[in-house]
Amino acid sequence: MLINLIIAGVGGQGNVLASQIVAGAAVKEGLTAVVGETFGASQRGGSVMSHVRITRGREVGPLIPRGQADLLAALEPLECLRVLRVFGNRETRVIMNERPNYPISVLQGEAAYPSLDDLKAEIGKLARLILSFSATDVAQQAGSPVAANVVLTGALAGTGFLPIALDSYRRTIAELFTGNARELNLRAFELGLERTGRRVAQSPRRLD
Amino acid sequence: MFSEQGGPVELKTQVQDRNMCTACGACAGLCPYIYTVREKVAVIYPCGRTAGSCYRVCPRTPTALGELDRRVFGAPRTDHVLGEHSAIYFSRAQDKEINARAQYGGTVTALLAFLLQQGRIDAALLARGNGAAPPEPFVAATREDLLAGAGSKYSACPTLAVLPQAVREGYRRLAVVGRPCQVTALRKMQGLAREGQLPHLPAAGPDIFVIGLFCFWALTPAFYTFLAQKAGSAEIRKVDIPAEGLKLTLAGGQELLFPVDEVRPLIRPACPDCFDPTAELADVSVGSTEYDPAWNTLLVRTPAGKALVEEARAAGVIALKPYPEERLPLLRRAALNKKRRVLSAQKGDGYLHLPDDYRQKLQGGIA
Amino acid sequence: MSITGVKTDRPGQAVLLTGNEAVARGALEAGVGFASSYPGSPTAEVLSILGRLAAEFNLYAEWSINEIVALEGAAAASFAGVRALCVMKPDGLNVAIDFLTTLAMSGTKSGLVIFVGDDPNAHSSIKEEDSRYLAKLAHVPVLEPATVAEAKEMVKVAFELSETLRYPVIVRGVTRICHASGNVVLGALPPREKAPCIPPEERFLTNPGAVPAYHQKQEEKLRRAAELELPFNRYEGPAGAEILVIGCGPAFLYAREAVASLGLTDRVGLLKLGLTWPLPEKLVLNRLRSAKKVIFAEETDPILEESVTSLAARHWSAVGEISFFGKNSAHVAGPFGPGAGELNVDIMVKALTAVAGLPVPEPAVSPPQDPPFAPGVPVIDRELAFCAGCPHRASFWAVRAALELDGRNGFVTGDIGCYTLGLGRTGYYLLRTAHCMGASVGVAAGLSKLARLGFGQPVVAVIGDSTFFHAAVPALIDARYNQARFLCVVLDNGTTAMTGHQPHPGMGINAMGEKAPAVAIEEVVAGLGIPCTIQDPYDIRTTVRVVFDLLQQNQLHVLVLRRECALTAARQTKKPRVYVDQERCLGDACGCVRFCSRVFSCPANIWDAAAGKARIDEAVCTGCGVCAANCPQQAIVVEGRE
Repeated sequence: MLINLIIAGVGGQGNVLASQIVAGAAVKEGLTAVVGETFGASQRGGSVMSHVRITRGREVGPLIPRGQADLLAALEPLECLRVLRVFGNRETRVIMNERPNYPISVLQGEAAYPSLDDLKAEIGKLARLILSFSATDVAQQAGSPVAANVVLTGALAGTGFLPIALDSYRRTIAELFTGNARELNLRAFELGLERTGRRVAQSPRRLD
Repeated sequence: MFSEQGGPVELKTQVQDRNMCTACGACAGLCPYIYTVREKVAVIYPCGRTAGSCYRVCPRTPTALGELDRRVFGAPRTDHVLGEHSAIYFSRAQDKEINARAQYGGTVTALLAFLLQQGRIDAALLARGNGAAPPEPFVAATREDLLAGAGSKYSACPTLAVLPQAVREGYRRLAVVGRPCQVTALRKMQGLAREGQLPHLPAAGPDIFVIGLFCFWALTPAFYTFLAQKAGSAEIRKVDIPAEGLKLTLAGGQELLFPVDEVRPLIRPACPDCFDPTAELADVSVGSTEYDPAWNTLLVRTPAGKALVEEARAAGVIALKPYPEERLPLLRRAALNKKRRVLSAQKGDGYLHLPDDYRQKLQGGIA
Repeated sequence: MSITGVKTDRPGQAVLLTGNEAVARGALEAGVGFASSYPGSPTAEVLSILGRLAAEFNLYAEWSINEIVALEGAAAASFAGVRALCVMKPDGLNVAIDFLTTLAMSGTKSGLVIFVGDDPNAHSSIKEEDSRYLAKLAHVPVLEPATVAEAKEMVKVAFELSETLRYPVIVRGVTRICHASGNVVLGALPPREKAPCIPPEERFLTNPGAVPAYHQKQEEKLRRAAELELPFNRYEGPAGAEILVIGCGPAFLYAREAVASLGLTDRVGLLKLGLTWPLPEKLVLNRLRSAKKVIFAEETDPILEESVTSLAARHWSAVGEISFFGKNSAHVAGPFGPGAGELNVDIMVKALTAVAGLPVPEPAVSPPQDPPFAPGVPVIDRELAFCAGCPHRASFWAVRAALELDGRNGFVTGDIGCYTLGLGRTGYYLLRTAHCMGASVGVAAGLSKLARLGFGQPVVAVIGDSTFFHAAVPALIDARYNQARFLCVVLDNGTTAMTGHQPHPGMGINAMGEKAPAVAIEEVVAGLGIPCTIQDPYDIRTTVRVVFDLLQQNQLHVLVLRRECALTAARQTKKPRVYVDQERCLGDACGCVRFCSRVFSCPANIWDAAAGKARIDEAVCTGCGVCAANCPQQAIVVEGRE
């Protein structure tokens, strides 16, 4: 088994944390995880990406080859398309936060951000499946828009695509945080879970 | 040399880079890309506009004097040397506190205090300084503020930079005290505002009473370094430049006098190009008498100016006496000479757009 | 990213650790007693973790002023019988190299391990320097982990090796180790023993009279290292393979995955080296005997490649005819060409395809990238930008304004930190040089000294607080002594922000979280006899005037622009609410040409296209209010400021 998951977003959105939750939960399941991460651009508005590869004991490198992402969890629509074009294939399943994060060139009026409909249409053509919602709005309900990363992680967990029990995610989150942040993130995870949990429970399609 | 319209690039190349900026402050107050510090004004970032208010309000971009006269006075001027005016007086404040703080007669401060006390203005735009560094523009909203702004400043404080700020802060009725270049810029701003082309100043207002200052030149900020060198460690109490030269009064009462030629190299490069020594577009213009330091020269120009002067006299705020007949030719000659110098230096490509008859009358020696 | 995993005392348990955490854990399992570093990507987290665990594990950890001081301290610990770990970025090894070359001569006592994190592709730093060149220069052995798990084991072995040879040992990671995560099986955490002590007879010298003898000893130690049996050097694949991959680090894993994906597992042998310098020659020679084609998988420079080709040349009669494929042959090359950028599976697939004479595989990417299949929704690039509320943005704006007002074509030199972004859009393209730590000051001083030859432009150096301590002080002494005249602007945000907010000497706290006497920048500057001014950059108008006035003085002056990093400030204080009063904002009628969102470039200033007005993204805004002061219409409202 080798599952290739990419978590894509913009520096400051919490890519790294999302990948740590998924990979940490995988290790709790007795699986082998490797995460390739770039966080020099964190907080500074650059495109960031985490490659999470999950196996049963097989040693692989931290980078997913082109066109071989099985799953793409995108914290931002434009980043979703950017990554999908390079790493996606016709079988790639996509979970996406619909809230845009505008590049500086868009804020400055030099470039236009594509419409969400256009983005979703193109992503839909490239990928096998796209589940999208505003994780940022859901995170706001959980208590802070910053928790969109954990909402999306919850949604990813809820799909059941990954062979990881929900409790392993919850335990990982509980270990990574203390106090209020733990409560916030657990809440965000559950709210994210609700977005996909039910529909996937009817037709689980685990990738392993 | 000048373009019909322009933006920051033209303002920079046609005015600032040629040292023709008078530091009136008009452009800087309107624009986040233009800063003024220590009487320097600079475009600090290209905003990308090819036409802008910055260029249109500048007193050293094309300036149609006939049009401005019509806008302010409703007709072409009848006096081509001192500008349109209905009366000329010697004047002085009647308030002892103002007399003590004033450079000469205290007329400007007295008129402002009267306007403020009568509730006819909310604030005045003035320059405030300690004499050791270039003065800073500020919005004076109390009598104490007015007194803090009293006294001549010999450098070019960009007072108009705080005009939009004052309007945004809610001051709707204002007095502006300015050098002739600032009065010109202000009239340009008002013209644009009236046409709805200056969104930062509402078309309906503000209501501005304009007190112009006589000004034959202003000095660069290097003047303050010069003063510090002359005074050494002593504190300077007063600076004056009467006909006999630069006079410094030190803390101990000691007076130092220097020939005016020592100061001339410090004149702002833009000033020799100035056509308007008496602030011709103001409501009233005030200057020294070059004769009696206890009094000012007061030119009453617009009906609003006339009304104010008469009310202020009636209220005992200012005293007036006739301008001495024998001195008027001296003032007129000084003003005319400056105008003629500028006209002969300007070879048709200058900022000044004069109606033909204005030009002929000046050249024809009607003084 | 969890300190819990690093300190868990359950031998045999598998946990997810980052490479940096694994290095810290390996050091703890090796009984490390002294750890030192200067924060640098991609290794900064190692010492952060050891600092936080210092009390619990009875060890000493420090953020040193710079890497050479860090290494000197670590060597001292080693001399006194304490195992020491010194952590740095490759630029740091450049700083420490002077000491390292002599330390290698004198030798060490207790285990001394230097962990260096190289950054192929410069993901999180400013160069992709290959530290192995400096290791060769210093005659110091290099171990290179291929996985996070191996990083932990390798650090432990490195301590043993260092003690065996009485010699420093480098463990070299790359970003794909340091910032990667993987399963790590925890080992035992030993108690640390005996107090440090140096017996009367022990000396650690580099006696100028005996240099060749030291050198001889170093060569001997390297020979012994090359002959060690290490678990990290191993071969997999068919015996007598004609095609041989020699690789190290994550690049080895890319090559292995490429071999598998091309179905070449039966044809290609894979030799993984954990010890890459000195080359384990016997092991390599054994494999070369059967090989006809050798491909190298290593980052970034061809170090193994050159060692192996040199070995083959020396043993040509034994190994026979071999073709070598790597950077020198340009077969192993990414989009920037051989030796530039990092490797990945796709690059190795391309190389193996060519070497094995296979048809080029169909791109796995589906559907094809080109029109008409992709309708071409544009994917806009993301430029790096200063964070919302970053005081550097205000500082750069103010310096730019002052220089334009000054009007003498001022020249700004840059330095290393977040503010290096001042070379780009959100720093208004102000920086004209950017090199190494501290270079802003030396370059500015040099330029200003040209005044004697007629150079008339004012010069401004821009440097951060942590970098100031690291590298500015000698250059400032030089500037004063040699009468340089420039303005040194210290952007003091009270932390080492770029690498993740590590403490520095100005902060009053040390790596172990203890209170420490703060070293104020202004005191250092005063001690150098250089005048110093402190100003809050959030007050842009005043800052412009202060900078302008200092430029007119034309003297050596230090201006500290002091304002806490927006990221740390946002954690601590209740932020004011900042919003655009859209009644007031004139939109495109203003004439400001969208100053706040288009030019000032704070990510919180956005354009509300529907309203045609400016807007604040309150989720991003830190409440600094600097944009409010810049709005020509005063349409930006700040509520609840203290």
